[in-house]
Amino acid sequence: MSQENAPIKIDKWDGNALKNALDDAAKKIMNESYGLVESFKLIDGRLALCSIAVSCSLFALLWDFLYPFPASKTVLIICVACYFILTGVISVYLLYFEGGVFYVGLEKDKAGIDPDDKWTLQSSLKKYDDQYCLKITYTGGVSKQTRSVERVCSVTEFFDEEGTLCYDLYEATVKGLKDSLSADKKAK
Amino acid sequence: TMGLLDISFLSDLKRMNKRQVFYQFLSFGMIVSSALMIWKGLIFVVVLSGSMEPGFYRGDLLFLTNDLEDPIRAGDIAVFRIKGRDIPIVHRVLQVHERDDGYVKFLTKGDNNAIDDRGLYAPGQLWLEKGDVIGRAKGFVPYIGMVTIVMNDYPKFKYAVLGLLGIFVLLNREA
Repeated sequence: MSQENAPIKIDKWDGNALKNALDDAAKKIMNESYGLVESFKLIDGRLALCSIAVSCSLFALLWDFLYPFPASKTVLIICVACYFILTGVISVYLLYFEGGVFYVGLEKDKAGIDPDDKWTLQSSLKKYDDQYCLKITYTGGVSKQTRSVERVCSVTEFFDEEGTLCYDLYEATVKGLKDSLSADKKAK
Repeated sequence: TMGLLDISFLSDLKRMNKRQVFYQFLSFGMIVSSALMIWKGLIFVVVLSGSMEPGFYRGDLLFLTNDLEDPIRAGDIAVFRIKGRDIPIVHRVLQVHERDDGYVKFLTKGDNNAIDDRGLYAPGQLWLEKGDVIGRAKGFVPYIGMVTIVMNDYPKFKYAVLGLLGIFVLLNREA
């Protein structure tokens, strides 16, 4: 991808774009600097749930087309009920399971024996706010213990006047956070 | 500065990986599905003609119940479909004939029509049966159905709305 090393430039007033840019950069740092393997299980879960919901509604549409109402009444009611239950489940899933997690990276055990250690990144940026909160959580593969550190910074620390992301500055911050967790780990 | 905004707007999208792109399409699918499910779930029809004036006008939205237990009586406003045609008709029940074995047949007429609906029924059909009836009108909201009429009369409008919605959702990346 030729885009790979081009500086990220966004509309500095667009809160969504700010968060996306910082999240994407953090992902890149974790993947490249630390050789972590990204795990997509969380996202895949969400994708699967949404796909099922959409299939439900498509099935209802097809059934009603082939067997017009009122013959399709039972099937329709089941599909509609399923769809809205699924929508509820997805909301719960997003809120509790994902909860702002945008990256899960696995640190493979060098010997290849023990289960992987897990590094989770979560972030939040309120609408119209400039306070970007980044939280890194470490879950030991063997010990199953978790440790996390979080840092709130203003987005102004990482973007210049034109909206270009100052990758080096951000990289230093993210690495600093992660290394502080690793240091903790070694100390214990 | 318009040029700057264009580039930065799309750069958000270029950085998406396969999964995120798939999720954009799914989001769009979810919105369309929600609308679809509400449409099918609430079960309503739009009054397309003026044959029931002054009770219902063209463009009114009718909510239906399909209570199989509650027998249809003369004077009820029934929504039914003629075999071979998609479009449901909303007219008042004029006559109801019941047999001892439970077989029921109806004759309907639009309030604003001069003659009963026999001219609308399928060739050779003189009565409606229970299976033709979709439900009964139980409540209505005036004018809202006009959107559906416009969408039916001008199909391009429907595609334009869907297209705009699609563009908005697909190109707007949620964090």
